[in-house]
Amino acid sequence: MKTRSRIAAALAAASLIALTGCGANAGATNASAGDFPKKGKTIDLVVAFSSGGAVDTAARLIQPILEKELGTNVEVINKPGAGGQIGYTQLTSAKPDGYTIGATGSPSVVVSPLDPARGAKYTRDSFQPLGRQVIDPTVIAVQPDSPYTTLKELLDAAKANPKSLTASTTGLQTGEHFALAQIQENTGSEFAPVHFSEGASQATTAFLGKHVDVLVANVSDVTDLTKQGKARVLGVMTSERAPSLPDVPTFKEAGYDLEAGTVRGYSAPAGLPDEVAKKLEAAIKTAIEDPTVKEKMSALGLQTSYLSGEDYKQFWAGQEEDFKKVLPLVQKTD
Amino acid sequence: MTTESVTTTTASTVRVAPSVLAGIGAFAAVGAYVLVTSVDLGLWTSLGPGPGLFPFAMGAVLVAMAVVWLFQELRRPSQTAEGVDRGLVIAVALSLVVLAAVLDLLGFQLSMFLFLMYHLKLRGRRGWPSSLITALAGSVGAFYAFNYGLNVSLPVSAFPLLNTIGL
Amino acid sequence: MDTLNELLNGFAAAMTWQNLLFAFLGCLLGTVIGVLPGIGPVAGVALLIPLTMNLDATGAIIMLCAIFYGTAYGGTITSVLLNTPGEAASAITTIDGYAMTKIGKAGAALTIAAVGSFVGGTVATIGLVAAAKPLGELGLLVGPPEFFALMVVGISLLVALAGKSMVKAVISGALGLLIAMVGIDPVAGAPRFTFGMDRLLDGVSFVAVIVGVFGLSELLSYRKGDQPAAVHAPNFRSLLPTGNEWRRSAPAMARGTGIGFGLGLIPGMTGSVSSLLAYGAEKKFSRHRSELGKGAIEGVAGPETANNSHANAALIPLFTLGIPASPTIAVLMGAFLQQGLTPGPTLFTEHSEIAWAIIASLFIGNLLLLLLNVPLVGLWTSILRVPSSILTALILLFMVIGAYTINFSVFDVFVMIGFGLLGLALRHLDIPLAPMVLTLVLGPLMERSLRESLEISQGDFSIFTSRPISAVLIGLGLLIVFSPLLKLRKPKALNEDPET
Repeated sequence: MKTRSRIAAALAAASLIALTGCGANAGATNASAGDFPKKGKTIDLVVAFSSGGAVDTAARLIQPILEKELGTNVEVINKPGAGGQIGYTQLTSAKPDGYTIGATGSPSVVVSPLDPARGAKYTRDSFQPLGRQVIDPTVIAVQPDSPYTTLKELLDAAKANPKSLTASTTGLQTGEHFALAQIQENTGSEFAPVHFSEGASQATTAFLGKHVDVLVANVSDVTDLTKQGKARVLGVMTSERAPSLPDVPTFKEAGYDLEAGTVRGYSAPAGLPDEVAKKLEAAIKTAIEDPTVKEKMSALGLQTSYLSGEDYKQFWAGQEEDFKKVLPLVQKTD
Repeated sequence: MTTESVTTTTASTVRVAPSVLAGIGAFAAVGAYVLVTSVDLGLWTSLGPGPGLFPFAMGAVLVAMAVVWLFQELRRPSQTAEGVDRGLVIAVALSLVVLAAVLDLLGFQLSMFLFLMYHLKLRGRRGWPSSLITALAGSVGAFYAFNYGLNVSLPVSAFPLLNTIGL
Repeated sequence: MDTLNELLNGFAAAMTWQNLLFAFLGCLLGTVIGVLPGIGPVAGVALLIPLTMNLDATGAIIMLCAIFYGTAYGGTITSVLLNTPGEAASAITTIDGYAMTKIGKAGAALTIAAVGSFVGGTVATIGLVAAAKPLGELGLLVGPPEFFALMVVGISLLVALAGKSMVKAVISGALGLLIAMVGIDPVAGAPRFTFGMDRLLDGVSFVAVIVGVFGLSELLSYRKGDQPAAVHAPNFRSLLPTGNEWRRSAPAMARGTGIGFGLGLIPGMTGSVSSLLAYGAEKKFSRHRSELGKGAIEGVAGPETANNSHANAALIPLFTLGIPASPTIAVLMGAFLQQGLTPGPTLFTEHSEIAWAIIASLFIGNLLLLLLNVPLVGLWTSILRVPSSILTALILLFMVIGAYTINFSVFDVFVMIGFGLLGLALRHLDIPLAPMVLTLVLGPLMERSLRESLEISQGDFSIFTSRPISAVLIGLGLLIVFSPLLKLRKPKALNEDPET
């Protein structure tokens, strides 16, 4: 008797496990686009990173304004893991009815579908960009007592003696790694990259301890360091000078036409009905450009730089092109 | 240093216990598998250890240790601990597996309620009132406490029907 | 002295009614967060930041810091009482802590943990006051090669954790290292042992493994007639440690404070490393080391003191350099920024009064934590009086929520179940669990720092021996490993004095 009931239980369990796969994606019903969003129906904002981080903070800042604009609940859902891949997969496999949107940050969202080894289940076309919030440009900095005072000096030295200078990144195929690869490809210089996979603070710490020569980071990371005189920023990879670093020349000014940076924005799974897309984009625009939000973002060191859904889409395509060009360089060939 | 095990000659001390053999076998097998697959990952790069080096080393260690252990056992079989309570293990493990399987399907409250009721009433043989109260507190109570108190969302059901009644 | 003056002013500011209340609330919330499954310190601090947004800067930061070191204690409560670690750093406390509960000494364990936490935290804060800047700079000296060398020392303590059978300890350690390797490798970015599953790209979740291997496997290992500790609900007398236990804890606390403080200064070290190494140190150096694993008070005193000492010391890099030493502190730093305060040296020049008020409240907070929790020991241990079937059910509930809320995914619950079964097998085969935890925590750190060091030196291994600090540490590690072989005579037990 006991054995039989155990077998029955095992069979039941097995079939339930099979059903588990269905459980994850069932849910949203059809809503006609005209009355989007239905009051009382929650819109999920999927954040592919853990709570407390920059992407999550930004999302939670716009959440209350989105709620006001759209007239319904907006809930931030964290789905961290695999450098954003888990959350992005969730976002792109949701129904494109407007009730699931997500925070998309590059380079993670641009890079992850490019490398076949990562097995990402989405491509750029799986996303429908709704609006860009901030762009945090990449900078190159050296030790305050370094012999190099201009970007050109540094790059020439790296060209003359390849791999003699160590440069930090926040991991393989991260924004900094790509930026470094772009610089190397464009100028012929060669650095020895050191990948600090625990992130920007680990890279900064190593730089402050003088364990690496060059710090590759974002504007928001180095603003404070320059104030304390702990780093000398030689160039910023954007078309205009960064407001928080007014004395730092852009790469373009120094003669190298290169742009790179971390970008954060919001997208939906591709295939939204037009009306739904319009409403979402408008709400997101208002949220991003809201003065309190902008102020809080700049307190975190991030400059708001809004782009509409369409423009964000083009920007994203451009970034993908840039990254594709240097992808072979950042993939280990050993 | 191996401590001397108390050598009381009970029935089967001359033989190596089957569970120990199974354990040794399992570790050896895992070790061998890791050893083989890690070669593909690359053992050495220009800058030092490749992704496969540490796994390779660990696989080798597991196999080596399994062999040494086997010899130790053959020389002096250890007295294994008393057996596990199979009924308990199956009941708990299986109920957990079922719970995890239906968590997203039925939602946290319903799944956990059923789970708790199983353990309280069926296995624990408690009375209806205490089982129900505890199960409700642990399922519905916990759900609301986490959701509204801590802003941590536990799963809701995938069935719209259950959604409408708040599950 | 100037610093003393500033500190006294800080105390005056910190002892206003509001700030005292905030510190108290922070300790309370922090403890609760540590107790609750599923909310680790990172998420907990992050979730409570909005609460503090409406307070003034000083009050907000005071509360957040209190939450931060409060969680370090909270995780201990479930480790000791329910054999389920509330957070990663409390994992090692389950070994002796729960063993003490089983022999009816839960109260003593919790009290010693509370006192140890107070001692560790206070000493660390004194360090912050006395020598913040030089200590901060010291932390910077630890680059990847030194980090790696530290890991070598850590893993060499595996030898100390071995116990009866070296073979089994090594198997346990090898297993831990292998589990740690699942995921994307830091060298080439290629997935290792992920079997095509997205979820495994980040590796197997540490908390799920720990909850399974310690908590669930213990539950599964009960034989007929065993009860999960409900039988051993202590009476009032046994709530407090005996005089002997106090005496034995003292050296353990001293060692724990040192280890936690030293490691806390190093950015990138997590609290679990400190508590693990403190446990290893007890195994190596304590007079009562043979009792470890069966309910020795040192097994609680050492790790718990190290844990809190670490948590408070980790604030030093934040205050002096503006560098967050761990994810939790990074979240704390975000809160600083949102309040308009930039942590780092500028904090002392631009907002000196606020900075010193916060530091003063660190002292107060550690004291409050002690005053809050010691009386509550009776309350916490009364959990054990709950009938065992309800207790089991509740423990299971805890574990499931804990595992699920790591990544809000059912996958981690399955991981927990799997490791529960593995833990059961290991217990049955008499394979020690501690070495596995050690390598699971240290393994990834070691591989990562090895790779970083070689990237800096471009493949030259001499980087480890040419740099003084790392050379010394590696030498220390080797010494620890080979010291049993060098001893000519096995050290005599306890009270025997070989000379005169």
